Amino acid sequence: MFPGRTARRLFGFTALLAAAAGVGGCANLIGSMAADTLSAAILNENDPELVASGVPAYLLLVDGLISRSPDNESLLAAGAQLFALYGSRFETDPDRIVTLTAKARDYGERSICIAYTPACTWQGLDYDDFVSQLAAIQKKNIDYLYSYAIGWLSYLQATSEDWSAVAELPWVEAALERALELDETYENGGLHAYLGILDSLRPPALGGKPDAAKAHFERALELSQGKDLSIKVEYARRYARMVFDQELHDRLLEEVLASPVEADGFTLFNVLAKREAEQLLASSKEYF
Amino acid sequence: MTRTRVSRWLARTLTALAVSLLALGSQAAEIKVATIAPDGSVWMREMRAGAQRIKERSAGRVEIKFYPGGVMGNDAQVLRKIRIGQLQGGAFTTGGLSERYSALNLYGIPLLFRSLDEVDYVRARLDPKLIAGLERAGFVSFGFSEGGFANLMANEPVRSVEDLRRKKVWVPEGDDISFLAMETMGLSPVVLPPTDVLTGLQTGLLDVVGASPVVALVLQWHTKVKYRTELPVSYSMGIFALDARAFDRLSVEDQTIVREIMGEVMHNLDATSREDNRRAAEVMTKAGVQPVAVNPADVEDWRATLESMYPELHRRPDMDAELLDELLAILAEYRSLGRTTSTLGE
Repeated sequence: MFPGRTARRLFGFTALLAAAAGVGGCANLIGSMAADTLSAAILNENDPELVASGVPAYLLLVDGLISRSPDNESLLAAGAQLFALYGSRFETDPDRIVTLTAKARDYGERSICIAYTPACTWQGLDYDDFVSQLAAIQKKNIDYLYSYAIGWLSYLQATSEDWSAVAELPWVEAALERALELDETYENGGLHAYLGILDSLRPPALGGKPDAAKAHFERALELSQGKDLSIKVEYARRYARMVFDQELHDRLLEEVLASPVEADGFTLFNVLAKREAEQLLASSKEYF
Repeated sequence: MTRTRVSRWLARTLTALAVSLLALGSQAAEIKVATIAPDGSVWMREMRAGAQRIKERSAGRVEIKFYPGGVMGNDAQVLRKIRIGQLQGGAFTTGGLSERYSALNLYGIPLLFRSLDEVDYVRARLDPKLIAGLERAGFVSFGFSEGGFANLMANEPVRSVEDLRRKKVWVPEGDDISFLAMETMGLSPVVLPPTDVLTGLQTGLLDVVGASPVVALVLQWHTKVKYRTELPVSYSMGIFALDARAFDRLSVEDQTIVREIMGEVMHNLDATSREDNRRAAEVMTKAGVQPVAVNPADVEDWRATLESMYPELHRRPDMDAELLDELLAILAEYRSLGRTTSTLGE
């Protein structure tokens, strides 16, 4: 479910590690230059398996840093995104995915509660109250709102077999929609990509909004300037399959396969996107 | 090997090949099926798994192709497409298919059942008759899967018929029997398709809606209501049915395979649905929708009023009078056994 673009900020967490390291008294652990280099290296890596085997060490590091600085909202936000991403894109064991994304949700909640105190009371609010609370949060807190929503969403995806995941989706969607109101260009269109996915989950016969989904995906493509191939993959997999538009489905995926994999900050996820595009194209005839 | 033997061998082989190709050409059947269930849902996953097993067991002679997510339209549109041969089957709601076989409306009569135990008792005795009747009406089905009881949901607690007065109560489009029930109770029903309900609740066009907890969660109604009355109002089921004309074209062997495997799939879906609704109700409460109990005496009044419409039901063309009597007799029999629990909830 997670488009690669999320990762740009996500892996930017290494810079935060450096900052936190300073706070926590381990300034020698990672210098900020090393952190930036590392982050870029990961995102520009074209071997996802190498990343998959290397990232768990990062997760341990983040956990360690958070336990040393439990009130560092930036570190918690980065942790939420990192655990969400690793849990939903790289881990394959279902039980571990739940454990990892539960941590993502927890970090996201803690992060926003520190950065924006009213959010500490959000848990358990009914839908209308939650939406009116969201209306008060401002743009300076968008990073925390985003991490909070992504952490939660990753957990819902991991537990999608349970009815509580179905029940909680509208709350997450409302949080993402508020973030979109605050800055629709955030994460180069990442918010639009997520909302496109969420609006494609239910067909119109079950109250879904395919037109809204399409508009979100189109805008996400525009904002990412076509560099992030995972948007096209999600557009095909979620939207085109839902509305049964084989022509759009195949066109988007063929464009993915014809595009260069290298794009600064997107290479890693573009490699994954190409693999998924191949699989989706292979099953196109059977599906449509 | 002499030339004659070679040519004889060749002729035999070619004939065998031709026969098998011919057989392949004439027997490979693609069955196109439409459903409202979205791809990726448990329902679709089970159906696809069943279809895969059918394809394997029939050595590729029977292939079922799905059109999920309602892309082929609502129940009525799917039925039209089946009639003209564009589709060979579909997954329907009981109400949706009742246009072709009215007895499917029986279980949905409001407040007919008092508990799921009663449902089980009746279904064990009547389901086979409904399946046979549906087959006479041109649809081969493989059992029903429970949709569960609709509960009333609203922004103010509904504990009695009085609480429903002067309220705008939703009736699903095409559900004439629920409409009649509302009128019998002196209420003012508002007819809308399910997809307009969320907006209806938002804009105040509707005050009270009815759905199973699972349906309410999927359609996100739990974001717009505050109370759920724990009264089993009307019972619904899902039906997977194939056009008998298409089914009859399959060989007897393949028909048996399809019946066996789809029967298992439906049985499993039927069995898991109850737990789904139980869990969905629990989750709704957690999401802030409070469960409300009804006063048992009020419910009995309510039932009595609705039972006064049975003679009218008897005369309706969209009701099967004979099976209605049989159903009521089965229920009376069950109740005389003294096994009815007083549980009003699920």
